[in-house]
Amino acid sequence: MSGSGDAVDRAGGRGSSSTAPGGLGASGPGSALGRFIGYVVRRPGLAFGLAIVIVLAVGAVLAPVLAPFPGDAGNDTNLLAALQPPGGLHPLGTDLAGRDIWSRVLFGVRISVGVSVVVIVASLFVGVPVGLFAGAVGGKLDDLLMRIVDIFLAFPSLLLALAIAATLGPSMEHAAIAIVVSWWPWYARLMRGEAAAIRGRAYVEAALLLGIPRWRVALRHILPNAIGPIIVQASLDLGGVILTFAALSFLGLGAQDPTPEWGLMVEQGRTLTSTQPWVALYPGAAIMIAALAFTLLGEGLRERLDPKGLARP
Amino acid sequence: MRRILIRRGLQSLLVALGVGLLAFVITRLLPGDAAATWAGPRATADQLARVRGQLGLDRPLPEQAFRYIADLVTGNWGTSIHTRQPVLTDVSGRFMTSLELVSIALLIAALIGIPMGVLAASWRGRPPDWIAGIASSLLASVPVFWLGLLLQLLIATQLHWLPVAGRWDRTLNDVAVAATRTHMVLVDAVLAGNGTLFVSGLSHLLMPAIVIAAYPIGLFARLTRAGLLETLGEEHVRMARATGYTERTIIWRFALRPSMGPVLSALALVFGFALGNTFLVENLFNFQGLGSYAVDSIAALDAPAIAGTTILVALAYLAANLVVDLVRPVMDPRLREAGR
Amino acid sequence: MVNHFQHSGTVRVRIAALFCVAALVFAACGGSASTTAPAASETASEAASQAASPVASPVASAAPTDATFTYASHTQVVTDLDPATSYSNEVIAMHDVYESLTRYDAVTKKLMPALATSWTSSPDGKTWTFTLQSGVTFHTGRVMDAAAVKAAIERTKTLNQGAGYIWGAVHSIVAKDPQTLVFTLDYAAPLDLIASANYAAYIYDTQAAGAAATGAGASDAALVAWFKTGKDAGTGPYQIASWKAGDEFELTLNKYDGYWGGWQGAHYAKVVYRVVPEVTTAAQLVQSGDVSYVDRLTPQLTASLKSNPALQVVDTPSFQNLVALLNTASGPLKDPNVRKAVAKAFDFNGIVSALGGSVVPAKGVIPQGLIGYSDSLTGTGLDLAGAASLLAASGYGPNGKPLTITATIVSGDTDLQLVTTSLKSNLAKLNITLDVQAVQWQAQWDKAKSSDVAKRQDVFLMYWWPDYADPFSWFISLFHSETTPNFNLAYYSSKTLDAEIDGIQALTATNRDQAAAEYVTMQQQLIDNAVVVVPYVQNYQRVLQASVGGFVDNPAYAQVVFAYDLTPGP
Repeated sequence: MSGSGDAVDRAGGRGSSSTAPGGLGASGPGSALGRFIGYVVRRPGLAFGLAIVIVLAVGAVLAPVLAPFPGDAGNDTNLLAALQPPGGLHPLGTDLAGRDIWSRVLFGVRISVGVSVVVIVASLFVGVPVGLFAGAVGGKLDDLLMRIVDIFLAFPSLLLALAIAATLGPSMEHAAIAIVVSWWPWYARLMRGEAAAIRGRAYVEAALLLGIPRWRVALRHILPNAIGPIIVQASLDLGGVILTFAALSFLGLGAQDPTPEWGLMVEQGRTLTSTQPWVALYPGAAIMIAALAFTLLGEGLRERLDPKGLARP
Repeated sequence: MRRILIRRGLQSLLVALGVGLLAFVITRLLPGDAAATWAGPRATADQLARVRGQLGLDRPLPEQAFRYIADLVTGNWGTSIHTRQPVLTDVSGRFMTSLELVSIALLIAALIGIPMGVLAASWRGRPPDWIAGIASSLLASVPVFWLGLLLQLLIATQLHWLPVAGRWDRTLNDVAVAATRTHMVLVDAVLAGNGTLFVSGLSHLLMPAIVIAAYPIGLFARLTRAGLLETLGEEHVRMARATGYTERTIIWRFALRPSMGPVLSALALVFGFALGNTFLVENLFNFQGLGSYAVDSIAALDAPAIAGTTILVALAYLAANLVVDLVRPVMDPRLREAGR
Repeated sequence: MVNHFQHSGTVRVRIAALFCVAALVFAACGGSASTTAPAASETASEAASQAASPVASPVASAAPTDATFTYASHTQVVTDLDPATSYSNEVIAMHDVYESLTRYDAVTKKLMPALATSWTSSPDGKTWTFTLQSGVTFHTGRVMDAAAVKAAIERTKTLNQGAGYIWGAVHSIVAKDPQTLVFTLDYAAPLDLIASANYAAYIYDTQAAGAAATGAGASDAALVAWFKTGKDAGTGPYQIASWKAGDEFELTLNKYDGYWGGWQGAHYAKVVYRVVPEVTTAAQLVQSGDVSYVDRLTPQLTASLKSNPALQVVDTPSFQNLVALLNTASGPLKDPNVRKAVAKAFDFNGIVSALGGSVVPAKGVIPQGLIGYSDSLTGTGLDLAGAASLLAASGYGPNGKPLTITATIVSGDTDLQLVTTSLKSNLAKLNITLDVQAVQWQAQWDKAKSSDVAKRQDVFLMYWWPDYADPFSWFISLFHSETTPNFNLAYYSSKTLDAEIDGIQALTATNRDQAAAEYVTMQQQLIDNAVVVVPYVQNYQRVLQASVGGFVDNPAYAQVVFAYDLTPGP
């Protein structure tokens, strides 16, 4: 029964509804970890997502140990064992160069998930402030900013990726830059729409009338209420980003062979989908599972961030 | 209102032109010789030099850029290096094809995604919500060509319910070509009064449209769910509940429309994106759309074609965003007093 | 609380206004498209009516003998329809519409008569006399005679675009009489072989657009424009009925009733070229009977279709091979030890095994079926131990200094990716890091030609195939010294080799056996100096409907189907 816990609870105004046993700020017996576990357990979706993310993290860290053929994620090839079906030595089969797909999928966690998360976070870091500012301020500045956003939106991302790859050399990092530059405008646009909508609400007007500075209003009143759609989009985007990497890799603009990047592996298995489906199937499934996990995680996060979130039966 | 339209319209035009010019310049700056596309991969140095002169590739870049804009303004969008056809002919035809495909896809996405989101919100926390949630996530991250190929193999090759590829049945090809006015097969069929062509065109549109709709379905479902949940916590809903309306009426009549804001914004974004980025689907189903044209142009360093495509897609994006910005206050009355 | 219904009237007006705006926008788009579209279809139907005048309208009147052959092409078919300059994918259709003086038969390895019935050459190989087929008419109606043939070849030579260079040896052409043509050459060359080339050897009507076009001036511009509208001026069994650039069914050919070869027996009356970019789609279409022929699927897809009784798979070794050019002029590979070591890191057996039936192992630089091929030119194959000792001699290798080299390939080709991945893997065992750059063709070529020597790659991989059935193409393009790099991207310069190359064409024309031996010597020099490594030769695996009879693949005409020679089945 800590005092600070109570204070947060009352100020947040949601601790005591019977249908919603309260957020992380709820007071009660037990440690912070215990409360966290309690929170998670009551939300099976979030629990599932978190479980998968933990599994992914373990896979990423322990890949060199868990993979039966760690060299296959690097330079090793075994051409005489090309396109083996799943079974025996190779639980998920081998690809066109005879490399073990299971090992490559394992090593791919670090690369695909890691870089994609960085891309999304970077895009959020650029897009959300721009959109928030434009939506909160309105007027000519809003117009100008949105036209700049439109320019980025309209510019063909493929061309941009090609330009960057041509100047700096093709690699996954450079493809990541290209994707961030093409992706942030989405968040900016969504954010601006929401921010502009909320700007006109009564409580925002009230806060402004009370003399609270604009920036404070934006950060404490507009942002939390507007962030919902962004979280939704961002959490769904992990799969999309990985697949964008795939498209770029196929055109030679991103990860190069033999990098075990899931998207690249899916592209390499493209023409083999009807004859040796495992080559594209397992990396594709990995993408979907990771994307699912992050979506569920993002949904859990959104509940926490959305002041109105809980309590609707 | 009209002032807004005009101002935004002009701004959009300028942005589109600006982006097109930027695309043109960047393409010319990229390493690689566009003359090699025209002259062929086995051209001699002399042939390449000659073609370069022909295409104006040896002029300094500012001059090329200026020429391009000057031509553009007079209606000459240049000649595509990789198809050797006028860019305007290429791009306008392909644009309409993509427009038709993407429109049908977004219609499907809205018709499936929004009700899915409503379902998830109404049954919040219970199995339908989880199922909808997992489905949304999977749909948003499934590799597009997978889905397309799987559908093709299953529905076309195994079950023969829909055709494998193409825009119309091959026996109708002469009829379809003769009827071409807008490059949109459904519209052309209606204009020509040809029912068989309409049905054939529609059946050929379904599978690629479904594949393109996968990601937006997931996105719309989740945005609808999120927006609806938010709106359901608001005052006017509590008032409606207190007044005695059923939950169902509340959702569909009072809460849904104001929640559509983010969905509309996303719709505009997806629309613009899909117009130029669906080359995998287009390749798989033999649709001669803008996406595959854009990829081919980029591979060939075809600056006029890239610029032309960019301008058209930019205009479409901007038009869609403009429409959304105008429609949002219509859907959500709270936005009207705020002036935007 | 705001009552939504109070504003309903205004709301409805606004929505209506918005839809009007939208409709206007769409109408404007549709309008602009329609002003261009009818123009295109007008010229196309014009072409159809002109070209098809002796024939029934292209819309199939569905006579039972109206068999159609559908060719599935994975890229746009037509780039340039001008037979003098055409050098691209349209070749698959050009050989059904146009003919040349001779045609190369890869099975018998002999030249067969086509528009020329017989030919002789002087002992020094500098004078060639061709006797022409009689009773041949162009699709434009004119009769083909020696003067017309002379005009066509001269125009092609004058324009000197595409593969026009093949006529480079020709000094003058004289039409001795309407059926006889005499060529005088500047130097001895196998003109009968050159006249059978895949490109730039077509005989066409230079007066098709009115005045005789010669390759320069206004009359030529008229002919160039005429070809651009989708018309043809050939003598072949088929003529262009319609061409819709960018459409799925891009090109349609109808039979030419006045064809000199006649139409006895069963023949295809119509040839349709359908653009199918994705191999998986093409595989499904050929299975469903929607296309008659696919030029290439993946080896895995092809293998899966072999057991289908409704289809036939035709395997033919081609004249197309993969060449890996090693940089002899700069960079780490300038050192012959290092270069030879890298050559020993290519795993031919593994690559051929992984690529299934789509490739065959290469022996030397010249593919089998061409003069100068020798299966004794095996090269070294994978030999990592030998490579290591070679490297050690220069201070590199597993116990020496690490090394980084660059290889460039064109992006989007899984076969090439496999080759470089395998090479990278083997080189890693030799303490060499291979940096593979998969880029667009223009960029790859540009980089190789850059004047800054440091920017150039160490290993350049690309496919090569000849314009006519002769190995000269490899040597003159890839291995002859160049002042500025064009295709000699091993940057090799050898006076001995240059001299041999300069004389080989004359030798081929006068003494074939000696020429063959000379080619073997040249290849041996290239292999000994590790200038080039050739991992494999492409194996064509065509998939056709079983009902298509009489199909024989001719590697001299890559991807071409001579539809007239086929017999449509039930």
